[in-house]
Amino acid sequence: MDGQQLDERQLIARVCAGDEGAGRTLYDAHVDRVYWLAYRMSGRHELAQDFTQDTFIRAFSKLQDYRGEAAFGSWLHTIAMSVILNGLRKSKRFEQREAVLDEAAMVPSLTRHAEPDLKERLAQAIDALPEGCRTVFLLHDVEGYTHEEIGVALEITAGTSKAQLSRARAKLRESLADFAGEWVHD
Amino acid sequence: MTDTPQWNEEPMDARLRDLAKEYNRPRGAVPRDAMWQAIAPSLRAASTADVTDLVPRIERKRRHIAPYAWSAALAAGLVFGITLEREVLAPRSAARVAQAPVITRTPRVAVDPRDTMSSHPTPGATSGATMGASTSVSPAASLVAPSTRIASSSSRSAERSSTMAGSRGDSAPSTATTADAQQLYRLAARQTLVQAEALLTAYRADDASQRDQESMQQAGRWARDVLTSTRLLLDSPAAKDPQFRALFTDLELVLAQIVQLSGAPLQAGERELIERAMRDRDLLPRLRSAIPAGATAE
Repeated sequence: MDGQQLDERQLIARVCAGDEGAGRTLYDAHVDRVYWLAYRMSGRHELAQDFTQDTFIRAFSKLQDYRGEAAFGSWLHTIAMSVILNGLRKSKRFEQREAVLDEAAMVPSLTRHAEPDLKERLAQAIDALPEGCRTVFLLHDVEGYTHEEIGVALEITAGTSKAQLSRARAKLRESLADFAGEWVHD
Repeated sequence: MTDTPQWNEEPMDARLRDLAKEYNRPRGAVPRDAMWQAIAPSLRAASTADVTDLVPRIERKRRHIAPYAWSAALAAGLVFGITLEREVLAPRSAARVAQAPVITRTPRVAVDPRDTMSSHPTPGATSGATMGASTSVSPAASLVAPSTRIASSSSRSAERSSTMAGSRGDSAPSTATTADAQQLYRLAARQTLVQAEALLTAYRADDASQRDQESMQQAGRWARDVLTSTRLLLDSPAAKDPQFRALFTDLELVLAQIVQLSGAPLQAGERELIERAMRDRDLLPRLRSAIPAGATAE
């Protein structure tokens, strides 16, 4: 761990000195996790790609300011979260506008199953969660972040993160109450 | 916590967690190289920017601040100039008018008794700044001074020049003062027009789709400064020229619209409103033709 951090600090110093190869190494070490997170939050490859690029562009431009107080990965994920959440807000606003136009012009063509299966219902329920709850749920229960890491990334306390998670789970249970019998028997 | 849990929450939460792993699960390889191609140029730029872009970055910042600083300085200068003109020059000119009969008009008026008799009641003699000259010296001072103080700047200038016309001793400094004041107003008017032209050109050139609230607020602040200068000039002798006055009035309207709409995200209709106001009044071409060639906002 310490060795890895030392390596990372050396890499960062080299990137700051203009070594593009070091930048690529640093990028390769972290890009997958950032991309997965971006995809998990957005559900779209093009958005995930944009968010990942923006995250690294912003991180490299701010690298001089990185003091090494937190692990580089945590620092990077704080940037990533900020980029992703802001990006999602923007694209949501855009999509809402588009949806209003579509609703007015289009005959409903997207017919969902009358009784969608559990996975689909769960996906819908996650989409319907309030933004804070959804973010914490995905970060904690799906991506495996700790409450402390989430607190740093979202600039909230660990306690708030726990409360949001608890609320998210309760809302999901409520939404999927129809399926309760299935997992009791499982 | 909820009304539903007649069952144990633990297995349900565990199952939810497992199933949630499938939610927006990334499939396929991460497009590392494709993304790196977009990131690498900015990394190169960031590393060179630290050294080579230092000066441009400072200049960019300065350029950003300059319009506001300039406008504030211009507004302050105008306020100072107009106040100075009203408070200092006006009483001084009044005093000169008051003294004028003794030095200039009185020899013709008071020395010749016929003139004294004839000039007193005639309507022609009561007009303009020479009104007080026909009466005795000390009342003239008390009569002329207040009337001069409440007169408009333009009439004061006229008064000064007509009253002082006969005085050889005083005519040179007064003409110089008037010329200086006019020069000052001309300069201020020109600078305001240069600023207005820069603002409106930037406003029109800016892509409407990229116009966010922050940039609108910046434009609004800038417009507010230029608007202040424009209104001060409208109230000054610079607006005596009918052509300038019309231009300032139209400019005031467009600037007021920009200021008014700068608080909220701009709708297409609102932007169209401003642009139509500019177009209908030929504002930019008129501004450009009113600005002498080579004039800058420096």
